[in-house]
Amino acid sequence: MRFDVIIIGGGLSGLTAGIALAEAGKDVALVSAGQSTLHFGSGSLDLLGCDDKGNDIYKPIDAIATLGEKHPYNKLEDVSGLAGVAKQLLERAGIATTGDANVNHWRITPIGGLMPTWLSMEGMAIVQDPDQMPWKRVALVNIANYLDFPTKFLAAGLRERGVQVDVKAVTVPQLAQLRKSPTEMRSTNIAKVIESNDIINDIADKINSITGEGYDMVLLPAVLGVASSENSKKLLSLIKMPASYVATLPPSVTGVRLQTQLRKRFNSLGGSFFPGDQVIEGVFENNVLKGVKTAKLDGTTLEADNFILATGSFMSRGLKADYDHIYEPALGVDVDDMGLDRKTWAKIDVNEAQPYMEMGVKTDEKLRCLRNGTAINNLYAVGSILSGHNSIKLLDAAGVDMLTALQVANNIIK
Amino acid sequence: MATETQTQNVSVNNFEQCLKCSICTVYCPVSAVTPEYPGPKQAGPDAERYRMKNKAFFDDALKMCLNCKRCEVACPNDVHIGDIIQAARIKYNTHRPKLRDMMLANTDFVGTMASPFAAIANPILKLKPMKAVLHGVMAIDKHRTFPDYSSRKFESWFKKNAAALQDKFNKHVSYFHGCYVNYNYPQLGVDFVNVMNAVGYGVHLLEKEKCCGVALIANGMPKQAKRQGEVNMTSMRKAIAQGHQVLTTSSTCTFTMRDEYDHLLGIDNHDVRDSISLATRFLYQLIEKGEIKLAFREDFKKRVAYHSACHMERMGWVPYSTRLLRMIPGIDFVMLESQCCGISGTYGFKKENYERSQAIGKGLFDQIKEVNPDCVATDCETCKWQIEMSTGTPVMNPISIIAEALDVEKTRELNKQ
Repeated sequence: MRFDVIIIGGGLSGLTAGIALAEAGKDVALVSAGQSTLHFGSGSLDLLGCDDKGNDIYKPIDAIATLGEKHPYNKLEDVSGLAGVAKQLLERAGIATTGDANVNHWRITPIGGLMPTWLSMEGMAIVQDPDQMPWKRVALVNIANYLDFPTKFLAAGLRERGVQVDVKAVTVPQLAQLRKSPTEMRSTNIAKVIESNDIINDIADKINSITGEGYDMVLLPAVLGVASSENSKKLLSLIKMPASYVATLPPSVTGVRLQTQLRKRFNSLGGSFFPGDQVIEGVFENNVLKGVKTAKLDGTTLEADNFILATGSFMSRGLKADYDHIYEPALGVDVDDMGLDRKTWAKIDVNEAQPYMEMGVKTDEKLRCLRNGTAINNLYAVGSILSGHNSIKLLDAAGVDMLTALQVANNIIK
Repeated sequence: MATETQTQNVSVNNFEQCLKCSICTVYCPVSAVTPEYPGPKQAGPDAERYRMKNKAFFDDALKMCLNCKRCEVACPNDVHIGDIIQAARIKYNTHRPKLRDMMLANTDFVGTMASPFAAIANPILKLKPMKAVLHGVMAIDKHRTFPDYSSRKFESWFKKNAAALQDKFNKHVSYFHGCYVNYNYPQLGVDFVNVMNAVGYGVHLLEKEKCCGVALIANGMPKQAKRQGEVNMTSMRKAIAQGHQVLTTSSTCTFTMRDEYDHLLGIDNHDVRDSISLATRFLYQLIEKGEIKLAFREDFKKRVAYHSACHMERMGWVPYSTRLLRMIPGIDFVMLESQCCGISGTYGFKKENYERSQAIGKGLFDQIKEVNPDCVATDCETCKWQIEMSTGTPVMNPISIIAEALDVEKTRELNKQ
């Protein structure tokens, strides 16, 4: 089977590259081994949130100029320009966001912290300045018995910042039913129950009846809008007070929506999405990748002019570790293990910066993968699989995913 | 030493690999509409730990699982969640199947009985009083209509009209037609024979074919399923020994014989598996290798929406059927968002599952109505019943669409050796 470009990995980076290339008229196939880490998403996308000492960054574009030389942002031609393109790409996929790359805003984590971020999906609660909370009195309204929205932590976090918080809960019979299997009262099931029973009005009435006057913000768990933002917007519009959503513990409805809408956009552009399959081998000839073989399409080689490796880091199985080495399992491209031996891959204190987080595949200045020390002419890597940064400490995961994907799409289109 | 212990510590169905991330729950069609169902993570890898300690932890709610395997497609860590659930049902379920379930599961026995009486059976099965009896006594939902039984079985058609013509070809395949083609819709088998003959392949039936057993597995009759599977494997081995590939026109039969035989029934199929293929895949691969060519009628025009049947998606073979269909110049092809239609074979026929079945499929039916195609294409026969009943849109197997679009004379010319 022949395509112009084959992308390996169906998360944020793979889909971004796929959409950008399909928009440019390329025939793109995307092979995805299981669903992506977007399912743990926060409803926001980070570009660069913290410096290497853990201090919040206010102006990410300015701060990017000071990053160490190994950071993947150094391989982008125009960070600021690409960040604008990324926001527009999301918009065309039906994902409206607030925020821009010059100035961070802050999102509220499910356990009540504030984190600097770049773009937030519409309807998410955001704070422009962490030293100046925009609300005096907040109603924190959960769905009764929904456990993935830890209101005690959330309230404590907000109170620490001087906000007066009243914790409340609402329910309707259809949602109370969900507790029949306590393990299944999950964000996405709540969303599906609300949407398929058309009970948004009932829930809004309940919220209105217990919040009354006197709150300057009603905060709700982000449990609406799996397929689009239509219903999540509708609920906010029906609440009499200003209202917005806070991310829940996984699975994340906003993350699933992001994944779904990007995939739909990719499909609508004529892209071919192969779910539940896995690239297991590359067919190399000199310094060119001719094709890839997958676990399911046995007997068929997927061929293309260009390939993009977007399989993510250890968590997504884009990188693997065994007893003596770190490796990239799909194509066997070179991995930068920073010259560390096994004993120093990880630090005992889980909160410390973990050295293995900076490991990833080696790439040249055009983000092309190396194999046995030589660049492969038509194989690029994008997203979390790239070496040279710690996305947990720097809060730069979504930015690296989207911006490297857009850069590689540009490199291929040229 | 440590290396050996760890690398050899592979758990059955990969269940130790479960990260508890809950992504499977997001994609479970049942969990979303049935609060009583414990969901794939809980029903699968989580509860398996308990069941391994004590079988009393087996929960009857597991029978609500459709075995659609969408949890497995979604799992980022390759845990065979659906297999864990089905294996638990086989291992721990102590209930004997009801008469109704036995009847639904024995598709080939019931088909054999009904076919000679098709002229009588079809209208009777559609009558309201009969449906009321089935609904009340047998717990087969009154909204369902049994697919028509054909008055002539595919096998009879083949023996009378096609068998003698097959030996003149230079290349040959065997055909596992399945119960649906044999008893309900022989036309699909006829279409298959016509397409294969046009590209220069002779078609042969297996020495002995039994129902693949998917309905037996689903209805708690694994022993009978295993017996039937062994018969199929024996026949297929003989066909393979003659150099035949064994082709099917049903994604679920294919999936069952290639994967479930080994994973759930313990049938050793390793020497047969790679020779069982779906007809669309076989054709696509030959076209790609340049070994055959298809020529299509210029006057063929059709707006076709493709539905990814669950087991087709699990096999990862959707691209073969869709890329084959897209070769037809007159096709206006629309890819539907992949989701379960809700029927899951015999599941949706049961009274207790009807509402759930329709709720699961609703998103798909809405999509089809919006796309408004001339027909829906899918590789699964039970999806066909469900979609036709729920949307009124005709549903065709890709092979039937190819047969309809094919310029047979030209194709024969192109493939003459």
